[in-house]
Amino acid sequence: MLLSSVILVLREVLEAALLFSLLMALSVRLRISLRWVLVALVAGTLGAAICGFNIDRISELYDGVGQEVLNAALQFGIFLLLCGVGVTAVLRVRGFAVPLQLLPVLMAMCVALAITREGSEIMIYLSGFLQIGDQWAAVLTGSVIGAGIGVSVGAVFYFAMLTLQPRLAAVVGAGLISLIAAGMTLQATELLIQADWLPADYPLWDSSAILSEQSVAGQLLYALVGYEATPTALQLAVYLAAVLAILGAAALAACWRSADRVQP
Amino acid sequence: MNIYLRQCALLCLYILSPFNAVNAAPPEFQLEIRDHLFLPDAIRIPADQKVKLVVYNRDPTPEEFESYELNREKVIMGNSKAIIFIGPLKPGEYPFFGEFNPTTALGKVIAE
Repeated sequence: MLLSSVILVLREVLEAALLFSLLMALSVRLRISLRWVLVALVAGTLGAAICGFNIDRISELYDGVGQEVLNAALQFGIFLLLCGVGVTAVLRVRGFAVPLQLLPVLMAMCVALAITREGSEIMIYLSGFLQIGDQWAAVLTGSVIGAGIGVSVGAVFYFAMLTLQPRLAAVVGAGLISLIAAGMTLQATELLIQADWLPADYPLWDSSAILSEQSVAGQLLYALVGYEATPTALQLAVYLAAVLAILGAAALAACWRSADRVQP
Repeated sequence: MNIYLRQCALLCLYILSPFNAVNAAPPEFQLEIRDHLFLPDAIRIPADQKVKLVVYNRDPTPEEFESYELNREKVIMGNSKAIIFIGPLKPGEYPFFGEFNPTTALGKVIAE
């Protein structure tokens, strides 16, 4: 039971932790106060509690696929917010007069949605054991260890991002934000296929023999770039379109000329 | 004239049949969770076809239906049911498990 809890909580925490660390590193690079982190944690935990404790009602919506629709909406929301973060960060670096609070607000919303998504699942899991009671100690210990490992991986990633040369950090950071964002749309597409809202299809390929989604590397890549061993054509198309959209938006922001520009 | 009409009708049916096939409700298969076990633990479904899986959780505790092979993941609260669409699948075996009780809740979909 202990090990199952470690793995379950680690998987959920890892995804949110990597996104969190990446945006925190971006904040530090842009000299933005990290106060938004606290707001995101509180809002995300609240969101997770609301979703977690109403999951039975949510599940019944839309003929029993409310859960898929909600999660897909959360993930698509994260994608849009990351697009916003990318564009705003580029404009800010270029010296445009963007509202100072815009970037931290976008980042806080993004992380809050990620915590809502992953945290609600942990809450549902824990609530199940609260009902039984006998395995409570093992489950709680396992969850704390799992969360601890997830947060540690996030911390290592955060410091690694901060030690990179500024130019390299910008390229790696922009690349990862784009791929995390695209991964969100890929997962959202998968959920809507599961709900029968989008057409189902055979997978284009099966790379699980080379890199299993269950392996440690597979899980890390899943969280970082949305790795999927058996994607359908639709998922791949959405993923590529999402990468192009976010990079295109950032490139547009990088080339934008306007009178608003102040001297950098 | 009568024959002509009948041929027309048959032609219309023929043209519309693919749409009927798409719109027809996918076949439904049922599965239970009881004492953190899937019953049955192997479920046979037709290959190359989308099917609707209805999973009843008879336990008071929540469970999460999860499968890497099927790309599916869904929380099923205690004493409730969940609908999960799967497929089309090539013939083969596709394991699934209950993520909240991964040591006992194990099963597989057999597409044939």
